[in-house]
Amino acid sequence: MVLTRLRSDIATRKSGKSFSLYIVNNIHTNTSLVSYLTSDSCFLSVIPNCQFRSKTLRLKTFTANQLDEIKDPSGLFYILPFQKGYLVNWDVQRKVWDHLFGKEMFKVDFADTSVVITEPYFNFMSIQESMNEILFEEYQFQAALRINAGSLSAHRYFQENNSELCCIVVDSGFSFTHIAPYCRGRKMKDGICRINVGGKLLTNHLKEIISYRQLHVMDETHVINQVKEDVCYVSQDFYNDMEIAQLKGEENMVMRDYVLPDFSSIKKGFCKPREEMNFTGKYKTGEQILRLNNERFAVPEMLFHPSDIGIQEMGIPEALVNSINKMPEEMQPHFYKNIVLTGGNALFPGFRDRVYKEVRALAPAEFQVSVVLPQNPICYAWEGGKLLAENPDFEEMVVTREDYEENGHCIYEKFDI
Amino acid sequence: MAEKKIAVRSQDPSQRRVLDSATRQRRLTRQLEALEKDNFQDDPHASLPQLVKRLPQFDENNESGKRRKKTRGDHFKQRFRKNFQALLEEEELSVSEGPNYLTACAEPSTLPQRHFCAVCGFPSNYTCVSCGARYCCVRCLGTHHETRCLKWTV
Repeated sequence: MVLTRLRSDIATRKSGKSFSLYIVNNIHTNTSLVSYLTSDSCFLSVIPNCQFRSKTLRLKTFTANQLDEIKDPSGLFYILPFQKGYLVNWDVQRKVWDHLFGKEMFKVDFADTSVVITEPYFNFMSIQESMNEILFEEYQFQAALRINAGSLSAHRYFQENNSELCCIVVDSGFSFTHIAPYCRGRKMKDGICRINVGGKLLTNHLKEIISYRQLHVMDETHVINQVKEDVCYVSQDFYNDMEIAQLKGEENMVMRDYVLPDFSSIKKGFCKPREEMNFTGKYKTGEQILRLNNERFAVPEMLFHPSDIGIQEMGIPEALVNSINKMPEEMQPHFYKNIVLTGGNALFPGFRDRVYKEVRALAPAEFQVSVVLPQNPICYAWEGGKLLAENPDFEEMVVTREDYEENGHCIYEKFDI
Repeated sequence: MAEKKIAVRSQDPSQRRVLDSATRQRRLTRQLEALEKDNFQDDPHASLPQLVKRLPQFDENNESGKRRKKTRGDHFKQRFRKNFQALLEEEELSVSEGPNYLTACAEPSTLPQRHFCAVCGFPSNYTCVSCGARYCCVRCLGTHHETRCLKWTV
């Protein structure tokens, strides 16, 4: 989720008064990217889009970035506003937004502010209606643009590569992975594909197998998520890596020992450097160690073969090719040439290369295949939103509060979620 | 070690309980549902007594604006208390032409299923007769029997 405040020069000239704009963007349902933008400065902050309860600090529920106040986040209890990527718990979402818009973070002047907020593809109608109500009636924003995160990413991509006609955006986030083709900025609805594998499932799966094989960590979502980010990678040759992982001692180049945080002397877990690893077993230092072997690459492998854990769906490369095949034939080479990877899971080392390798193998030989991994795949859609808000056409795209008051929920036609 | 081996493999086949495919499917569904859970543990605040409602105070009239906002929120809460399942059913009923949430889901893969040991995660060649889980060696089968095999049944 991204929130931007923007003092747009164009708008200032038009309306004759200062005009500020917030962009709220649900890229990751678990993470918000928040930024405050004025004509000469921009701060971006990334905050969790949820509430927490701690085992030790009772009686208090922590909202969004108050997470930093918790000194001992072991056994952290999450309260998420989203279920399977769709906003269902409005109470929690409103608390997070109250925190964001209120005096703790950005003191928003709603009557003077526009908002850009992203929603998942094919968002349920009743969620869309609730969203309209909460933006215009509860918070009373001056104007709002509800849009898919992929559309913002595509906008960003076309800005940078304006000679390209088509692109296909892979958005692999917290709850699921979406594949969405765009042709000249237009969303091709027939090609949109959802794989129900996201970062949450990967973390939960890693939690499950570690708990079964070595140490009970089922309560430690926060810690294990960090483990996942620190040690997991996408294998380039899966069965070969499996063989390496079966080797004993120093020959096993996959195995890593991960030092778990104790939140007193070790604040954050880390991977033991290879030189310090003790292959025979016990360490004398008394730290708590997780030994990670095939888990390192078998967990992100779910993105490529969801059927490995019994989810009978295509993996990312296969679904990409399948989506492209649904498009008109003359567009297909353009899609293969412009594959954009966004979302947190794109940060796994080796992710881009693996997608390229598999798509290359599946695509017709005469087509050029190019897979782009932006520098910051998490913020890519937010960057697109920022560009869009600075665009002179922006005012044509938004729905103002007056429009809403006049036409009610019919305005959703303009958004086309 | 030798004893364990006997216990695992030389069971009388007639006494062995074999799960039918419906039960196996149910177990798989439950495992996948568990992977969608936000938390494994219970809410640490669940055991705490509910905070007693704040008594009205004399300066209450001064914050009537704030109170108005609250009531609107309560109305909102009642109207939009829906979980994902309810939303999905609603979508199924109102399904219209063209792509939607249900059609957007990825199709089953055309690639062959791969199998991994339920215990150690390495490629596996064998299937547990009782529950259908995969295993790669006798040692893993022993662990599987002791810990999971029929101990999870619904």
